[in-house]
Amino acid sequence: MPLDVAPVFRSYETQRTLNPPGIPALAPLPEGETEDLQRIAGRFRDDFLAAGLHHGNQVVYARPEQLKALATFLRDDSQLQFETLIDVTGVDRSELPLDGGARFQTIYQFRSYSRNQHLTVVTDCRSEAEGNGTSPHVDSLTSIYRGAEWPEREVFDLMGIRFDGHPDPRRILMPKNWPNHPLQKQAPLGGEEVPFTFTWDDPEFDTLGTQILAAESAAPDLPPGMSRQNMVINMGPHHPSTHGVLRLVVELDGERVVSIDPDLGFLHSGFEKTGENKRYKDFVYYTDRMDYLSSMSNNLGYCLTVEQMLGLEIPERAQVIRVIMAEMQRIASHLFWLATHVLDVSGTGMSLLMYATRERERILDLFEMACGARLTVSYIRIGGVWQDLPDAFVAELKDFLRLMPQKISEYEAMVTEAPLWQERLKGVGFVSAEDALAMGLTGPMLRGSGVDWDLRRDRPYSGYEGYTFEVPTRDSGDCYGRFTLRLEEMRQSVRILEQAVDNLPSGLYKSNNRKVALPPRAELDVSMEALIHHFKLMTEGFHVEPGFFYHGIESSKGELGFFIYSDGSAKPYRLHVRGPSFNNLYAIDHISRGEMLSDVVTNIGSIDIVLGEVDR
Amino acid sequence: MGIEEKVPDGILTTTLDSVINWGRANSTWPLLFGLACCAMEMIATGTARHDIARYGSELFRASPRQADLMIVSGRVSNKMAPVIKRIYDQMLAPKWVIAMGICASAGGPFNNYAIIQGVDKIIPVDVYVPGCPPRPESLLYAMDMLRAKQGRETIGAGRKVEEPLAVEEIMPLGV
Repeated sequence: MPLDVAPVFRSYETQRTLNPPGIPALAPLPEGETEDLQRIAGRFRDDFLAAGLHHGNQVVYARPEQLKALATFLRDDSQLQFETLIDVTGVDRSELPLDGGARFQTIYQFRSYSRNQHLTVVTDCRSEAEGNGTSPHVDSLTSIYRGAEWPEREVFDLMGIRFDGHPDPRRILMPKNWPNHPLQKQAPLGGEEVPFTFTWDDPEFDTLGTQILAAESAAPDLPPGMSRQNMVINMGPHHPSTHGVLRLVVELDGERVVSIDPDLGFLHSGFEKTGENKRYKDFVYYTDRMDYLSSMSNNLGYCLTVEQMLGLEIPERAQVIRVIMAEMQRIASHLFWLATHVLDVSGTGMSLLMYATRERERILDLFEMACGARLTVSYIRIGGVWQDLPDAFVAELKDFLRLMPQKISEYEAMVTEAPLWQERLKGVGFVSAEDALAMGLTGPMLRGSGVDWDLRRDRPYSGYEGYTFEVPTRDSGDCYGRFTLRLEEMRQSVRILEQAVDNLPSGLYKSNNRKVALPPRAELDVSMEALIHHFKLMTEGFHVEPGFFYHGIESSKGELGFFIYSDGSAKPYRLHVRGPSFNNLYAIDHISRGEMLSDVVTNIGSIDIVLGEVDR
Repeated sequence: MGIEEKVPDGILTTTLDSVINWGRANSTWPLLFGLACCAMEMIATGTARHDIARYGSELFRASPRQADLMIVSGRVSNKMAPVIKRIYDQMLAPKWVIAMGICASAGGPFNNYAIIQGVDKIIPVDVYVPGCPPRPESLLYAMDMLRAKQGRETIGAGRKVEEPLAVEEIMPLGV
């Protein structure tokens, strides 16, 4: 029988430079229009470049001169009400065919909670000759959205884009004497050659240790705005209550906090630059190590972003497994938060650490059953999950779910009503709803101030629309409110888990699109095509259409967003992570002012940060 | 035989080295110092299931002056390196270092501008623990290895035994 199917040839590339993807300098032009975009178009008429939908997101290309006016309009217009600036990032397009366009662009994600709208604004950076090169700069939005302060500092630090009118234009992550802006494309990835030799005389060893920056012995600067009239003390980076390597410079008047200047970057690991040098599927393993208490959520957020850029359909069973894993991870993360929070506040409350980790170990056992790892799971992969759940998993999970609600009550009985606990938490770390919105806080920090918003319910992903659960909110805006809120979130997670485990459908656990997801191992023995697909995926990966996409999920700490800018190759051209801890930690100065030094520790615990995610 | 026959009941003779090493190996207090993912497993080692208290090491001290053991639990960034060096220098001798996980041992997956490829570039390391992150059992095994090493030290001016250990002494065959 003659073969009547024409073979499909797919172009693969190994190096970006061999095969430049001919995408237009402005990236793909967005299409279509929405009410919001018409409203913006009506106000600005010809002043902006383009607007439309791209991968389902509303996108506006604005001129740099219009940026501040646009942002003010977005926030203040009665029909738009974009209360929050979720994220700021930049992209260095020097390796793309620019056709005279600007080399640097900044990209803003705006969110309207009241109207459930998301808007992406892209603007070119102006460039100005400075020294040998040019210095890109753009207007700062800090005067309109207060929460832009740290993201803009991060963009300046890593990308070298200056923000005119920024109140505090210092580096934020890298050491202040760092020689370059690492995310610029000409900045090397760095690292060291791995020497494959046995003799110490080999020149391969010459590179060892060369990447260590010479440490200069210099007194640290007094952060701007602080006065030596007050006492300035240093908390961290080695401090038992900073949840990792966070350094806080605290200005004190007696015991009262006057201001706090957090110094970040002690765990900066170059995730974004690494991601731009890895194939799409290989970055999943790195996401584990960002927020290492919510590895599953990080996997999920990244995979969903890539899948939506690919337009990939995920099988029903895989989606439910993902929900199960994400909710178990939320409980595990909240348990660890509870344990460390109580330990921080009381100083000696080791007992709750032991109790909470006891339950957490059970969740880790379940993870281990599913994927063999306790912490860095990499279980959720692009296209589905790594492998199917083992047979014993569901029974074990049901057992855990029977147990968990009474354990949560047990923790509550230990601390919630305790007078000392209430004394330490009530009224401490207050943040109003307006401030929370202006500062771009998300997750429990936002819901603890009375803003009723949860991405799982309001912008559902991975089938969350099919579950019944409540989104707890608290109006008190203090640490105690956030404490009870997180306990309630654990109960709701148990509720979601019960529904998911009862309705676990059978079927595929990962997409059978062989161009993206690996074929099952058993298939390799019988199918040549499977072998070829496996080989191609392992050596070359898959390609993502040029374009960009931002997608956020509700991780245990808040909105975890991934922004990917693709040039059509097998690696992301620009990969940015919006870590909820990073944006939430910005509030530490605001909520601690006027409180006691010991309340700073309470506030850190209440924000629930993970430094791997803050510093990335 | 020997002096034990001459002395009254309840008196044993030993060498000063053995007694001191016995004490050190059974009360090695780690520094309360976590860097990244491995720190979570270090905390898990300290909690009830894995119970590092069996090794006399449950007392994590926040002050480097009171700690004997630095568990470098995670990746060491360029910004953090001078801090780690200083904390190590602040610890009183004798002091030991466990490089927990592949990042602290050799940089791990982070071969990039930000991460130092192994904490041994800045401080001496006694035991390397592979894994990403190592399981609590691995860390406990590393504690075992450290105890074996501690048992061979001498008090003379803080000198450490120079001759390398045979592999069988550290890891008995069949393990």
